[in-house]
Amino acid sequence: MARMKFLCDADRCIECNGCVTACKNANEVPWGVNRRRVVTLNDGQPGEKSISVACMHCSDAPCAAVCPVDCFYTTDDGIVLHDKDLCIGCGYCFYACPFGAPQFPKTEAFGARGKMDKCTFCAGGPSSDGSSEEFEKYGANRIAEGKLPACAEMCATKALLAGDGDMVADIYRERVMRRGGRPQTWGWSKAYGEG
Amino acid sequence: MKRNSPWIALIAAGALLLAACYESPGVTRHEPGVYKGESDPLVSKLESDQGLRDSLNRRFDGQRDR
Repeated sequence: MARMKFLCDADRCIECNGCVTACKNANEVPWGVNRRRVVTLNDGQPGEKSISVACMHCSDAPCAAVCPVDCFYTTDDGIVLHDKDLCIGCGYCFYACPFGAPQFPKTEAFGARGKMDKCTFCAGGPSSDGSSEEFEKYGANRIAEGKLPACAEMCATKALLAGDGDMVADIYRERVMRRGGRPQTWGWSKAYGEG
Repeated sequence: MKRNSPWIALIAAGALLLAACYESPGVTRHEPGVYKGESDPLVSKLESDQGLRDSLNRRFDGQRDR
């Protein structure tokens, strides 16, 4: 059984935002909602790095832990999905998520946000696969068609990898071995300084 | 007696209306952490459809450097 994961290779990401565009196009995401975004560290300075961020489909998802109506479920392949018919738009998942993945389509009076929207790993939702109802609520269901998420498949430099965690890790390991080290964009020295 | 009859009818109607406000004592117990929505057909499809699994594996492998 696969364990679906995303991984963004910071040494390869060129901040083209192709993944963001591919996601918005494939899922017809409404204005104001970005299921995926590119974050650049040290923007404009020598050695800047970019990473593409969306829902990381956590093994122990904090969004699911705090949901008061239990609208989240995880497939056997580790894809974290949710049921928009149950979502009450409370926003707890947004506060809990360390990646800012849950998005809300509305900003209206009295804090009305609308149903939560997030990356589905292009796996749709609980509606029947490939139906117009599913597309309208959750976007494309590429996994049911045997395809990977649009963002990863459209990545020109193959910086964004998606798929079985073991395979993604294997591809990344090969790259790191070839380069002779991993990018120091994050890690011990970034968090705690030298020494 | 004739003057009181509309009042009696009104009280009887009121009693009937209030009787319709009966509340069931059966409580729906909430089980925290258990998904409450409908099941996703993709889950069973991924379990049983080997062709779909092979297609996904081919695409996983296609991400390797040439």
